[in-house]
Amino acid sequence: MRIKVLAFAGSPRRHGNSEALLDWVLDAMQKEEDADIEKVILVDADVNPCRGCNACETLNRCVQRDGMDTLHDKIIDADLIILSAPIYCMGICSQAKALIDRFQVFRSRKYVLKLPIVPPERKGKRIGIFLSSAGQNWDHVFNGALPTVKCFFHVIDVRDKDIRYLMVNGVDEKGAILKHPSAQRDARLLAHEVITDIRARLAG
Amino acid sequence: MPVRVLGISGSPHRHGNTETLLDAFLEGAANAGGSVEKIILKDLDYTPCRGCNVCHKEGECIVRDEAVPLLEQVLSVDCLAVASPIYSMGITAELKGLIDRSQYIWARKFILKSLYFTDKEIHRRKGIFISTAGLSWDNVFDAAFPAITAFFNTMGFEYYDNIIANDMDRYRGIRGHPTALTHARAKGEEVIRVIERMSRD
Repeated sequence: MRIKVLAFAGSPRRHGNSEALLDWVLDAMQKEEDADIEKVILVDADVNPCRGCNACETLNRCVQRDGMDTLHDKIIDADLIILSAPIYCMGICSQAKALIDRFQVFRSRKYVLKLPIVPPERKGKRIGIFLSSAGQNWDHVFNGALPTVKCFFHVIDVRDKDIRYLMVNGVDEKGAILKHPSAQRDARLLAHEVITDIRARLAG
Repeated sequence: MPVRVLGISGSPHRHGNTETLLDAFLEGAANAGGSVEKIILKDLDYTPCRGCNVCHKEGECIVRDEAVPLLEQVLSVDCLAVASPIYSMGITAELKGLIDRSQYIWARKFILKSLYFTDKEIHRRKGIFISTAGLSWDNVFDAAFPAITAFFNTMGFEYYDNIIANDMDRYRGIRGHPTALTHARAKGEEVIRVIERMSRD
């Protein structure tokens, strides 16, 4: 069975550290041969911030017409959803935050309207990956982003235990991650582990 | 000279719970003699930080829009009230977009060392975070604090206090909350008196 992978490069900086992590993961997945990969460059995807109108709580859809119109079905169809984004000012960059806030439509569907996000046979089979980089080398530099990232995955039926993380701190200038001792290897290993896991879930 | 107070509303939703709580704070500050201004972020023309890091060398942002004049205004005031509802356990993309744009100020302070606030200046300048959340969880604001802390640090403010109210869904909005608006007004008056006292000393 084919594995559908949907990956968001959430950084405004093209080919920077968080996107390098993503590309290492996707390159490794490409070699697995049963993965169909789509990579979305968020700054080019025309995703506006949530307006907080709460109309989705009754309409079950967003009143805004933009890039989310096409992303919506892809988000539901994917077996693996990957979000890569850098940490800016101790939180996830605002471009990625805008995407996450637009997942309000899924939150409304799931918790207000009590409707399914994925068909019953796909529940518990989806996996999420969060890839991140931060300039500061503090251990706590990712803490502000994590609850938001968990929201992103929870509302699209990726359970807490099915979220994988690869977060690299102490990399600021473009390309700094290339000199990191383990990031590239960790990304490859993560890709292999996750694809193996999903393959087993889809077969089971 | 009156104490200058700037309120920044980061909600996309006009006159909602968070902006109403900010209004109560600003009303208290004005009643105590503060000179008060409110900015609605969603009406401003600005884009998020591009992460180009040019400011790390130049100390200036290459993006010319309304974020830079606002950040310069933030540098000039005595009290900054930053308001945002909690969306997905964090501040709104609008407010995060502005905070990320303060990178050039951060670069002046920590890379170029061309900007410096004395301890006394920082102690005298008060930052207040104002927020509301629909959920009742006690931890619903926790993930917002690090970015707000970073913003106040960068802009030279002491993180004076939070005015936060959760469980909005149960109270059916801020006006249904028993104490939040009264507390915000009192906090507005208090902060003006504190800054005035420091200015006299």
